[in-house]
Amino acid sequence: MRDDLRLLYLLIVYDIRKIMRYKVFILMRVAWFSVQVGFFAYLISHIVGQRFGGELTYYHFYLLGAYTSILFTVSMFRGYETAQEFEEGLIEYMLSLPIKRKILAIGRILGGSIASFILTLPMMLIVLFLLGAFDLFSILLAMASAMIFSIGIVSLSISLVFLIKSGDATDITFGILDSLLVRLSTVFYPAIILLSFIPYYYVSSVNPLSYLADFLRWIFYPQELSKYLINNPMNLAFFIIGFATSMLVLATIFIEKKIEGGGWK
Amino acid sequence: MSSGRDVAISIRNFVKRFGDIVAVRGLNLDIYDREIFGLLGPNGSGKSTTMLTIATVYRPTEGDIYVYGKSVSRESDEVRKYVGIAFQEPKAMWIDKPIEILTWHARVIGYSMSDARRVVREVMEMLDLWEQRNKMFSELSGGTRKKVEVAKVLIQRPRVAIFDEPTAQLDVIAKHIVWKAIKELSREGSTVIVATNEMYEAEALSERIGIIYKGELKGLGTPAELKDKIPGGDIIEIHIEGSLDPLTKQMLAEKLGAYKIDHNNGLIRIYVDKGEEKITPAIEMLSNKVKIKMISMKEPSLDDVFMFFTGARLGE
Repeated sequence: MRDDLRLLYLLIVYDIRKIMRYKVFILMRVAWFSVQVGFFAYLISHIVGQRFGGELTYYHFYLLGAYTSILFTVSMFRGYETAQEFEEGLIEYMLSLPIKRKILAIGRILGGSIASFILTLPMMLIVLFLLGAFDLFSILLAMASAMIFSIGIVSLSISLVFLIKSGDATDITFGILDSLLVRLSTVFYPAIILLSFIPYYYVSSVNPLSYLADFLRWIFYPQELSKYLINNPMNLAFFIIGFATSMLVLATIFIEKKIEGGGWK
Repeated sequence: MSSGRDVAISIRNFVKRFGDIVAVRGLNLDIYDREIFGLLGPNGSGKSTTMLTIATVYRPTEGDIYVYGKSVSRESDEVRKYVGIAFQEPKAMWIDKPIEILTWHARVIGYSMSDARRVVREVMEMLDLWEQRNKMFSELSGGTRKKVEVAKVLIQRPRVAIFDEPTAQLDVIAKHIVWKAIKELSREGSTVIVATNEMYEAEALSERIGIIYKGELKGLGTPAELKDKIPGGDIIEIHIEGSLDPLTKQMLAEKLGAYKIDHNNGLIRIYVDKGEEKITPAIEMLSNKVKIKMISMKEPSLDDVFMFFTGARLGE
């Protein structure tokens, strides 16, 4: 058990070390995100704000959605990285190490989630700064929920890579998923608006992105934004935890089976 | 095998298929404890697949492989504790540095941080890698990358050390350093498997050699045993003054069990098995008949051995 925890730690270190190498990539992402939330978000909020007659502070709504969106994209990117490891043969090296397959699967998922969270931390801090949200408990709760959400998404993306086993097919699938899941959610559109398009609303109501975005909104604006949420706060929290836990367990079983059966090849 | 030596790796009816492609076909082989075993074959012969299966990276399609009694199919977690592998293509993140790659590897296999630093430095210095420790992996030459790959196993010092073409792309000096390190591993108690398609490497390192071709084991034995299996593979060359009469030539052939005797311009070529045992009788027979100026013996090369067992040259 102690040895398993040690290896888990080293696998997490591996992924963090890996993401820290992409300094330029991180800087560019942060710069682009800053422009997005500092300029375009103001612009769009002004337009939307006029439409809703100032009832909804869309800027607040949008910023937390934008953070959810970037965290989702970065977490999904862990799958790309795994696919790249297949191409480079790094997966063979990992499989030859004296690490139990289950620990390897969990370690890479947790490592990928923590790395994704760290990569998006500057974006979260920018959002919190722009929102003027400095309550420590709220910040910690937001960080924890983002981290848990990322575990679910990384589990999903790595499982998809093991399922698809093709670089091109992975690119297409991830591109479609990224486009659909961000749009078919409450990331940028309040649930109350989506009710006008019932199929859209139903898809959004089972989309984990909706749940994180709305949960973050509830954390920082429990009064102002509460009527725009897709579910009540308790359900939002349970959904995020349930999604991450179930995805982690399923992905671990699936990846372990794929690896041990040689099904990764 | 009835050599009396303990078996470290037992390969039984091992078949590995990738879709319709059969990479290994019913391989049966024992590798002894603490021996250096050479797996000789051209690219695509199945040697890498066999070694990757021993390292539990692949799983057998049929049959099984046992490493110190543990099945790679059913007890892979246990097997991995014994095995370390240096891959044919170096495996590392391109944006990583050798010192980080090797320190992380050392930590994973169980070294404390301080021990990991010490051992990594020792091995890197031995392989003349220390000066390049902080370069990006992508900036290293092919030979240096290969050394980093080999260093992983030398740091690990596993009970079963697998090297897949360990000196490909290395210069002569580096080759000898790696060979010395591999022999040292064996002396310390590791069972070593070296896959190679270089004859001189197989001969320089291996106590026994398995010749693998198109997924099948075609020959097995010590280099000397393999050479002896070629009928008439040894050539005794005797330079004489004068000529050899047909009767003496016939008697020589019968007494030495020669497959063929050529005689041309004072040079007699006698094709025999186990030539080292036939030199004295040949001298005894000829010394009364002709004046002998010089005697030498040529053994078949491993190239000849490979050709004999597979019907193909290694380059094919």
